[in-house]
Amino acid sequence: MADIDNKDQAEMDPADMEDVEDVEEEETGEDENSKARQLTVQMMQNPQILAALQERLDGLNGSPSGYIESLPKVVKRRVNALKNLQVKCAHIEAKFYEEVHELERKYAALYQPLFDKRSEIVKAAYEPTDEECEWKADEEEELTDEMKEKAKLEEEKKDEEKEDPKGIPEFWLTVFKNVDLLSDMLQEHDEPILKHLQDIKVKFSDPGQPMSFTLEFHFEANDFFTNTVLTKTYKMRSEPDESDPFSFDGPEIMCCTGCTIDWTKGKNVTLKTIKKKQKHKGRGTVRTVTKTVPNDSFFNFFTPPEVPENGDLDEDSEAVLAADFEIGHFIRERIVPRAVLYFTGEAIEDDDDDYDEEGEEADDEEGEEEADEENDPDYDPKKDAAPPAECKQQ
Amino acid sequence: MKLEDAEARVLLARLAGRIPLSSRGRSCHSVMDATKAGKGDQGMQAPGGQMDKPVSFHFLESMLPKVVKRRVHALKRLQVQCANIEAKFYEEVHELERKYAALYQPLFEKRRDIVTGTVEPTDEECEWHSDREEEEELAEEVKEKAAIEDSKKEEATPQEDPKGIPEFWLTIFKSVDMLSDMLQEHDEPILKHLKDIQVKFSEPGQPMSFTLEFHFEPNGYFNNAVLTKVYKMKSEPDTTDPFSFEGPEIIDCEGCQIDWHKGKDVTVKTIKKKQKHKGRGTVRTVTKQVPNDSFFNFFNPIKVSPDGEMDEDCEFTLATDFEIGHFFRERIIPRAVLYFTGEALEDDESFEEEELEEGDEEEQDEDGDDDDDEGDFDPKVSNYFKMFVSACIIDCGSAQDVRVKLFEVNVKFFHLLLSLLE
Repeated sequence: MADIDNKDQAEMDPADMEDVEDVEEEETGEDENSKARQLTVQMMQNPQILAALQERLDGLNGSPSGYIESLPKVVKRRVNALKNLQVKCAHIEAKFYEEVHELERKYAALYQPLFDKRSEIVKAAYEPTDEECEWKADEEEELTDEMKEKAKLEEEKKDEEKEDPKGIPEFWLTVFKNVDLLSDMLQEHDEPILKHLQDIKVKFSDPGQPMSFTLEFHFEANDFFTNTVLTKTYKMRSEPDESDPFSFDGPEIMCCTGCTIDWTKGKNVTLKTIKKKQKHKGRGTVRTVTKTVPNDSFFNFFTPPEVPENGDLDEDSEAVLAADFEIGHFIRERIVPRAVLYFTGEAIEDDDDDYDEEGEEADDEEGEEEADEENDPDYDPKKDAAPPAECKQQ
Repeated sequence: MKLEDAEARVLLARLAGRIPLSSRGRSCHSVMDATKAGKGDQGMQAPGGQMDKPVSFHFLESMLPKVVKRRVHALKRLQVQCANIEAKFYEEVHELERKYAALYQPLFEKRRDIVTGTVEPTDEECEWHSDREEEEELAEEVKEKAAIEDSKKEEATPQEDPKGIPEFWLTIFKSVDMLSDMLQEHDEPILKHLKDIQVKFSEPGQPMSFTLEFHFEPNGYFNNAVLTKVYKMKSEPDTTDPFSFEGPEIIDCEGCQIDWHKGKDVTVKTIKKKQKHKGRGTVRTVTKQVPNDSFFNFFNPIKVSPDGEMDEDCEFTLATDFEIGHFFRERIIPRAVLYFTGEALEDDESFEEEELEEGDEEEQDEDGDDDDDEGDFDPKVSNYFKMFVSACIIDCGSAQDVRVKLFEVNVKFFHLLLSLLE
């Protein structure tokens, strides 16, 4: 009988293959590790071991491994040469980003006519032609029949009422409400004001000027303030820091400035008046004092914390600023270029995933301030300025 | 072997099916973003995927009065025009990248020469002042130790004169999670011969792509001097889904043929199988060649199926591959020395750690539901372990491979545990 043992699989007759079943498979030569495997499995199930392991791993993170220091002197020398080359790379990179920024400026001018048109349609300065409104529904409107019915009824009702909404009412307010990052800043008393927001524009610094961008919020005439435009300017650093060249990763927002809002009397939503009862310690008499304290409002966006000369900020202000920078960046990069997609909600899902953050700061400062304030002679309004924007997880 | 959905999602979340290659250049970074090293702040999506649109928004949209809806459609048309302009913007950024690649090139060549020992840098070129105080304190101790070691070495082997920076690239592989995940023990002796990794861009006018070139010195494993991996990109909005465009995306990749010396191919292994003939009852031993885990499988990636439809695992593997290609191009090659010393790792790692914690809410391992579950136990490590395992087994084609892989992983971990707990 032919010796069919130990033949290469490739050489086997396919007919033979059908009648066989695999009994067992062995690796060539790795048996002795099964004990190690068992031990490991056991160890990984022990919470104390895992905790110890985690602690050690945490401790190691970021600490020099000692590997570099242990290299022979001649090698270390060459590593330093590579580091010097790397600094040169960082400087070339800075020039690269400058040129990208110039490209951005150039393209901002190309987008502008489209954004201007958008603005005109939104504020009803321009009525688009039928051709300009042609849009294939396809995947968008996969509504159930039930919903279609409902929508139809609403439409008919509206037609009956002879409503004739101009432009796209509350366009930007809707964008704000749809986007977590922005809705977090939005208070109820802000909404009637934001109904008057007609456009948000991005303007870049001129070439040769320190790199910065400005967000312009254009409002139609309203009862709340006299400004037609509210501005927020973000200044950027676009070169490696000499003392830490390797942390350079492209232009970074470094600080920002807002603008003064000319509020109509009594309409300033960034302030509120509270009454405080104070008891004279000596005489025991009680008096009522009215105080003006900061109020939560989106419009605090235009008075961001200032970075002092020495660059040191308290933790809260730092957090506020960091959130502010993120918002400025987000408005520039996502909201302004793609506003309609935030209006309809199409863009929301993509962004949600970008902005997942783990730790949330305890958010227990909302509301219920007045009760405390009346009874507390030591109340300090400054402590109550809650951070305007925190990213919510969905 | 199906990966758990949450893990897949988290890993996919880091991915590049569509990380815009130019995001580094085009967006400004807030202070917070600075640590999100170059991964772009753009949204994520599986390769070739469509955006999911929440029904609720459409309902709302359809509730708008007809006249308003009409204008919204006009805005959408404008938005498509924006997307087309954006595509041109990215093309110009890409040209800028090409231009700057040429400016970096001399610096990278010098790096290669120093690493391989072809050129010895001058004393001036090696001057470096360390700013980091803690590093210096710790380093003092180690330096003293090293000094003793050094002098010992000099006494012991006066002729030992390491050329260049030995095992430069291998060390980088081992230091960076994404790369060390691909690395097997049998790959290491081969990677010692890796002397440079370069990026080459496609020519203007050609479809956008970039090539990673892995340059090896002559070695006993294969004949090739260079192993290449090409990543093809799509740089225009999809006409059926123009709003998902976020800049150039990697859509496909191609490896190269490795000319292995006989018996040295680490991407295959031989196993013996016992087979029992159902009818006759006889048993025979058969030897088979099966794929083996190895970094060098990187040069033999899964092909994107022509109709764009792939099963989830393949999609996931490809997405990981794309991310790795992107990472080489954007981070490793431009900043290699910082990965060698570990300086760049803190930035990247802190980003990765955040991701790890997102997918957290899964149940513990099937294997042992311990009744004496002693209260608070930190899920981070076991999740890290799970991630590590997932990453290791994505290449596995069969349940058997997974078993094999898992116990290799366990062995590694066992040794790691021992060393850490000592």
